[in-house]
Amino acid sequence: MRFVEICKSYKENRVFDHFSLDIVCNTILSVVGPSGMGKTTLLKIAANVLELDAGELIKEDSEQGPISYLFQEPRLLPFSTVFSNVELALRSSSQNRKERDELALHYLELVGLTDSLALYPSQLSGGMRQRVAIARAFAHPCNLMLLDEPFQSLDIKLKYSLLEAFVSLWEERKKTTLFVTHDPKEAILLGDAVCCLGDPTKPLLYQQINIPRKARNVSDTSLLALEASLVDALVNA
Amino acid sequence: MRLVKRNLILLGSSLVLLLLWQLGASLLDSQILLPGLLPVFSTLLELIEQPPFTINVWYTVLRALQSFIIIVISATLLGLLAGRFSFVSLALKPFVTTLKAIPVMSVILLAFIWFSSGTVPLFSAFLMGFPVMYVQIEMGVLQIDANLDEMCSLYDFPLQDRLFHFLIPSLVPSFLTGARTALSMVWKVVIAAEVLTVPRYGVGSRMQLSQIQLETDKVLSWTLIAILLTALGDILFEVLVFFLAKLKQLHDSRRVPCVS
Repeated sequence: MRFVEICKSYKENRVFDHFSLDIVCNTILSVVGPSGMGKTTLLKIAANVLELDAGELIKEDSEQGPISYLFQEPRLLPFSTVFSNVELALRSSSQNRKERDELALHYLELVGLTDSLALYPSQLSGGMRQRVAIARAFAHPCNLMLLDEPFQSLDIKLKYSLLEAFVSLWEERKKTTLFVTHDPKEAILLGDAVCCLGDPTKPLLYQQINIPRKARNVSDTSLLALEASLVDALVNA
Repeated sequence: MRLVKRNLILLGSSLVLLLLWQLGASLLDSQILLPGLLPVFSTLLELIEQPPFTINVWYTVLRALQSFIIIVISATLLGLLAGRFSFVSLALKPFVTTLKAIPVMSVILLAFIWFSSGTVPLFSAFLMGFPVMYVQIEMGVLQIDANLDEMCSLYDFPLQDRLFHFLIPSLVPSFLTGARTALSMVWKVVIAAEVLTVPRYGVGSRMQLSQIQLETDKVLSWTLIAILLTALGDILFEVLVFFLAKLKQLHDSRRVPCVS
């Protein structure tokens, strides 16, 4: 997926000005940046819910079609059960009820919620709700995945367990993913590349990460150096 | 345990109310000003045994039910339209504001000039109950969660699923609040209108006729019947809501596959 010379302004505020960015197909690009620098705007452009003032968004054939979106908050239907919340996201793509049930069950099993299928969102903890949202995002047969700070405001233990759950689901079927976050550590642990926004014309920093995801350790020297440069870019943005 | 405690408190406060009534009756010592508990309850039993009782109650219930159903249907439809289209809301605003401000008695007196005595309670109750339900439904539509709506669009929820799993459930709380408030208002207005217009049958008509003849025990007996009717209406409504909620839960749990 390529953002080519894109321009986007909100009244006087120019968020992107001939800005270009490439995301390699079937990889995760982590995007960090201070608030108001266009992280969510970039996601909305990728989701085709926001029109560009100028420029172009080019998607590969394999990135066309349905999109899965993980929001900052779980956004579950409050009157539907855990199972229904996931199964409903499959209805537009599959008319076969048995197939839908099996798929929903499969993803709920992967996030460890088999015992909570009949519960309603109000009966779940914050972490469990976000797990349902992750299961829904993966169950939805999408070709592009957009993540808008889905792990923010979670405690550190829960955050890492959800990151792990996310990675294992993603590795099962890789798809182009744009992951927006405030946390440089999260960005490094999840992304195949990291990009820092802050200048409307170009990324402040763009760095490939060549260490395999499962072998990454936040105390690794090269990752620590990358984190330091990300923090530096964020502070000076 | 909590339910037992709640019921005990309710029973205790009801007994205090009856005690105050009896105390007042003993102090005043006048059958016309305030008859005691015993004469009122024996009159109540007499009234229940007499054949016109059922028909009087039936007519009041029928009027209340008719106006309630008309309110629910019309206020829901117009409230949905007003919440969705601002021009409908604006067009109806003067009508709704007038209805909210107008005194009940003015409506009843004006309706009595225009309609027969049997139609006045129904018409007045509709005019008084409609704005309550309409405003609730309109607010419900305006408060539909935009984030969930966006989620439904991004995940391509078919229209039918969006309706049954998101839009209708989102409107249920507003619908129930509106219907509950409208229902208790309907009883009061129907009986008030019957008192003023004295149709051939009705709880309010009996109250008025008893008051003319200074039969305070009968006035109080009919008042007790009116209170019981309102309470019974509320209980039936709550029972209906409870069973519908249980039915939905049962349906939801049947959709969940068994995992061994």
